Amino acid sequence: MISQVFILSSKGDHLIYKDFRGEAGKDAVNKFYEMVTALTGGQPPVVMKHKELHFVHIRQGGLYWVATTKADASPFTIIEFLNRLTALVKDYCGCLSEKSVQMNFALIYELLDEVVDFGYIQTTSTDILKNFIQTEAVSSKPFSLFDLSNVGLFGADTQQNKVAPSAAATRPIVSSQGEQGGKNEIFVDVIERMSVVIGANGVLMKADIEGEIRVKCYMPSCSEMRIGLNEEFSIGKSQLSGYGAAVRVDECSFHQAVRLDEFDTYRILKVCPSQGEQTVMQYQLCDDLPTAPPFRLFPSIERDSGGRLLMYLKLRCDLPPKSLSQELSSPDQSAELQPKNKAVHWEIPRFPGGAQLSALFKLEVSGLSAASLQEVGPVSLNFELPKYTSTGLQIRFLRLSPIQPGPSQRWVRYVTHSDSYTIRI
Amino acid sequence: MEWANQLCENRQFGSKMTDSKYFTTTKKGEIFELKAELNSDKKEKKKEAVKKVIASMTVGKDVSALFPDVVNCMQTDNLELKKLVYLYLMNYAKSQPDMAIMAVNTFVKDCEDPNPLIRALAVRTMGCIRVDKITEYLCEPLRKCLKDEDPYVRKTAAVCVAKLHDINAQLVEDQGFLDTLKDLISDSNPMVVANAVAALSEIAESHPNSNLLDLNPQSINKLLTALNECTEWGQIFILDCLANYTPRDDRESQSICERVTPRLSHANSAVVLSAVKVLMKFMEMLPKDLDYYGTLLKKLAPPLVTLLSAEPELQYVALRNINLIVQKRPEILKHEMKVFFVKYNDPIYVKLEKLDIMIRLASQANIAQVLAELKEYATEVDVDFVRKAVRAIGRCAIKVEQSAERCVSTLLDLIQTKVNYVVQEAIVVIKDIFRKYPNKYESVIATLCENLDSLDEPEARAAMIWIVGEYAERIDNADELLESFLEGFHDESTQVQLQLLTAIVKLFLKKPTETQELVQQVLSLATQDSDNPDLRDRGYIYWRLLSTDPVAAKEVVLAEKPLISEETDLIEPTLLEELICHIGTLASVYHKPPSAFVEGSRGVMHKRLPARTGSGEGTECPDVGNAAGGSAPEAAPSIIPSQGDLLGDLLNLDLAPPTTTGPTPSTSGMQMGGMDLLGGGLDSLLGGDIGGSPAMGAGFGAAPTVMPASLNAPVGGGLGDLFDLGGGVGMPMGAYIPPKTVWLPAMKAKGLEISGTFARRAGVIQMELVLTNKAMSVMTDFAIQFNRNSFGLAPAGPLQVLTPLGPNQTIEVSLPLSTVGPVMKMDPLNNLQVAVKNNIDVFYFSCQYPISMLFVEDGKMERQVFLATWKDIPNDNESQFQIQDCHLNSEAASNKLQGSNIFTIAKRTVEGQDMLYMSIKLSNGIWVLAELKVQAGNPNYTISLKCRAPEVSQCVFQCYEAVLKN
Repeated sequence: MISQVFILSSKGDHLIYKDFRGEAGKDAVNKFYEMVTALTGGQPPVVMKHKELHFVHIRQGGLYWVATTKADASPFTIIEFLNRLTALVKDYCGCLSEKSVQMNFALIYELLDEVVDFGYIQTTSTDILKNFIQTEAVSSKPFSLFDLSNVGLFGADTQQNKVAPSAAATRPIVSSQGEQGGKNEIFVDVIERMSVVIGANGVLMKADIEGEIRVKCYMPSCSEMRIGLNEEFSIGKSQLSGYGAAVRVDECSFHQAVRLDEFDTYRILKVCPSQGEQTVMQYQLCDDLPTAPPFRLFPSIERDSGGRLLMYLKLRCDLPPKSLSQELSSPDQSAELQPKNKAVHWEIPRFPGGAQLSALFKLEVSGLSAASLQEVGPVSLNFELPKYTSTGLQIRFLRLSPIQPGPSQRWVRYVTHSDSYTIRI
Repeated sequence: MEWANQLCENRQFGSKMTDSKYFTTTKKGEIFELKAELNSDKKEKKKEAVKKVIASMTVGKDVSALFPDVVNCMQTDNLELKKLVYLYLMNYAKSQPDMAIMAVNTFVKDCEDPNPLIRALAVRTMGCIRVDKITEYLCEPLRKCLKDEDPYVRKTAAVCVAKLHDINAQLVEDQGFLDTLKDLISDSNPMVVANAVAALSEIAESHPNSNLLDLNPQSINKLLTALNECTEWGQIFILDCLANYTPRDDRESQSICERVTPRLSHANSAVVLSAVKVLMKFMEMLPKDLDYYGTLLKKLAPPLVTLLSAEPELQYVALRNINLIVQKRPEILKHEMKVFFVKYNDPIYVKLEKLDIMIRLASQANIAQVLAELKEYATEVDVDFVRKAVRAIGRCAIKVEQSAERCVSTLLDLIQTKVNYVVQEAIVVIKDIFRKYPNKYESVIATLCENLDSLDEPEARAAMIWIVGEYAERIDNADELLESFLEGFHDESTQVQLQLLTAIVKLFLKKPTETQELVQQVLSLATQDSDNPDLRDRGYIYWRLLSTDPVAAKEVVLAEKPLISEETDLIEPTLLEELICHIGTLASVYHKPPSAFVEGSRGVMHKRLPARTGSGEGTECPDVGNAAGGSAPEAAPSIIPSQGDLLGDLLNLDLAPPTTTGPTPSTSGMQMGGMDLLGGGLDSLLGGDIGGSPAMGAGFGAAPTVMPASLNAPVGGGLGDLFDLGGGVGMPMGAYIPPKTVWLPAMKAKGLEISGTFARRAGVIQMELVLTNKAMSVMTDFAIQFNRNSFGLAPAGPLQVLTPLGPNQTIEVSLPLSTVGPVMKMDPLNNLQVAVKNNIDVFYFSCQYPISMLFVEDGKMERQVFLATWKDIPNDNESQFQIQDCHLNSEAASNKLQGSNIFTIAKRTVEGQDMLYMSIKLSNGIWVLAELKVQAGNPNYTISLKCRAPEVSQCVFQCYEAVLKN
């Protein structure tokens, strides 16, 4: 049971405050801010307690989204709820920022009123809420395709926002005025996150992929969408089918609105996308990747005669040459030493498949001994591979029925991120 | 529209005015301005004004003065405006109760509005206005709304009952709203059902004894049906409600589980966790041999693993829960070790939780993998994490015995890096490893001593000092090392001071001659120059001990330390049970029961896991079942008094030769020593077995008098592991003598190691013992005594150890036994509990003798008598066994057996199969008849045994096997 919900800016300004059960005072807001800013690195910030009141919060869009409770409530419920709330606000207001929340406070209050009653969560579905919400959203800025400053491929906070293909996804979903952007668009994203551990001997020790298919729909009336996946897509270990380049995952879960009657035979997902953003399918693959991991490292670490630490790193990208972007004339690489993290940061803007890059780092380390060479490593890679899925999952087609009146646009995007790509030395 | 236009204009001018215009600071007269706007004729203007009021309210400004003006705006048919006004009302009604009454009429009118949105809005808002006077007016509209034709209104009304109950519980009961609410559980709309369940659950919590949520198979069925249809949030209410139900039997439990499992693949982690909670609870009732039980275990793993791919916040909460689940049912995730490996970009709090779970899942099967990971972690950057990783390596060593050596060498590698905090942490865990495996890894002490200077943390210093004190006899310069610590005694923390005091006293007791001065110094530092009462007291105790009775001091200070337990920081079983019932809630994150952090009546009820009940029984007395099930895990602690009984038994034995020389250890000292052994050794052996067999636990609770007898089973089982029964050389002919095995390891007997075997030579049973002194001091005054046993075995004379046994000396003793001692049935039958005493202490062990020792020489029966007896013994007493892989022919077998007094009376050959008929007589006159089938070319023999005391059959069979195979 949720007692209060409030939204704070990163500076601690009260943006939204809603009390559902009248059991806790408004001073809780300031108390929360005091506590959250006093946290040290090692303390888990997720659930905090002050006297009888428990705070559960998440951070999104640079804001604190906080719920309090006095009962032995489920933090899962609350975290999921807060995540949904942010998604709703994003759906209604276009984007998450201090500005958009401030401008749409009346709308957010109205949303909160419908979403939670006496601390019980009622619904978080954009479709249902559409029937109740009266207030119009105020868009925080006019649309400009040239303004890429806060654009990200939705659903993925990436390291490299610049590759995001479209700004269109930051438009409010729900608009009774209808023609705001005027476009009937639907986006289907296949996003995969990769965590890989490669041992010091070059052996792949662990490789997991977590993937999801997300749909963001701007169409007011889309009765059914059919998403066709690779036909040879299989789930579970048992179904390995001969030599074919089978696309396989271990586990698969679907949004409850997905109908699977054609899934077993034709690998077709049927969804009635409600306006807004939703994760249609999630899947995992452990250990058994269809292809080699994309990057390999050939390190050599030694001590030179002057007592300096020499790190010679050769990094190779094992993707097929054309799978990554264009030719590369002179990569603007940069490297810096980050003494605070005890790390060397090597940035490579672009890295074509099949290429190999190397770097030599010389470091002055005081009191360097043979034993301290053991302490070097591991190497962690952060990257984004556009137009690439490591499981090989593809979307064969997207069909909408009934056929949309007027122009409609369907977008399919693929991307693989590094969740945690570690190479040990 | 006007408002929107205005916005557009502003945007065109690129001004920032629009964004925060509601939040700009209040200037003087703003309230006045707002008042005017609120009373404006224009709807748009009114709306703007109310918005401004609410914005001020949000940032904490007092706009209550505008109450009448805002309430005036209430009567409008513009829903947006109405909602804004209601928002304001909810906030300020409490502070302006009189004026709030002004709004009542509008509320009542809105409850009759044709638009369901307005009806619901009105009833929702009224419930939120926590003013007593309003509640009276609320009753009638609420009653109507509860029966409204629109489900949206009904679901809102259902929640409103809970709101009203919170304000005035009596009113709700008097008005009969609870019954209406109960009816809503059968509503056709799943959303209404979910809200009704949520409301009832909350109300029921404040009436613990009421039968509000009357859960029975019918209503459960309705809930399960609604579960499939309602929203994810509704599913959570329903699942949480289901978790409070106790099914009548395992069949019902299984059918509920079957219907709940599909929820495990839900995308909402809260739904998943609520489902896990239900399943973990109901699983308790399923018999473990059921196929479905295994299926369910398998189904639980993937959703838990999936949770780990969520955001760090959820991951953290999930890991806290998984930590509980792993402690309760490690088998669920035992193959999933890899997912708990730490990612470099995990937040530190997630990393630490993962590490904890890794240790809990560590086993012999995966230890290599785990250690490799931990070693990697130990060289990371984050200090906290590195420390915990090093500590984890130590915990692995303690948990998985086979890995101890590898762990120690890993730790030594880490010490070589000379990274200060790594070294310190490694030393702290090595101390624990020494506690667990004494006398095994002392070779590393030298390496540790090299790093003495770099230790600056109290815990590491204390650990190092402990190690030096404990192994003072093996460290040549122990006195110098300790002396160096002593210099800055007053600047040390209490922990270090206490350790230093104890270590120096230990050193003194071990090397009295050269350390007299040092001990004087530390005692005076502790007693005279310190104002810490703990330190002073300990100092005085040592001082007095040393000055009055140095032998007693040795007894106390150098006493055998109980081994540290395998699993550290496990959650106490009753708490764990309660927390399992609260999976997915805050309790599972804090690892504290809800009563510890939830105020008032809510959550005070302690939840327990249900007991397992079969379909046939248990329906009539669920409470009894509950109690039995609940007490099973508690059986382990309750054994301790019964241990005392057993101990008393053994201690009451009359130990034959009294001590003649040297100071007599006081009785209390002896008892303490005995306690130590039993407490440390047997207890941990017992703990495991008892936990696994609830029947045993129940038995203990019910009949304490039968305790000693029934206790033997686990003792024997546990000790059996210590014996290496296979292999060794046997005697070609003559009586079979099993190879010697270690009965009493030196680490359990202060350096005395006893191994031995039993033999029958020329009709005399002999216990052949090998005593080895692995301690540093001379052992004398040996004596032996048996506990009562199944066949009345007793020493026929004293234990002949004539010369004192020096360090590292070994002596072989043969002790003739008689069979005229007191009899008590043991389990296993051939179990023998022995007490051996020397000048140091009394030690206990138990061993098993081959029953063939008891086969007497006159065991050959007359053929006629054999036939008659075979027929006479009921067939129920016959047992059949297989002896596998025996390559003797019937002739050789017969000869071999004869050597052990197993006599072949007749032989018959039927279709190439030799049937040998044999007889055996035990020393207590019991006859055993046997039929051995030997088929040429088949290495597998079949043997049938008949005896009036069928319990000996198993032992006799074991003898056959042992004799034939040696």
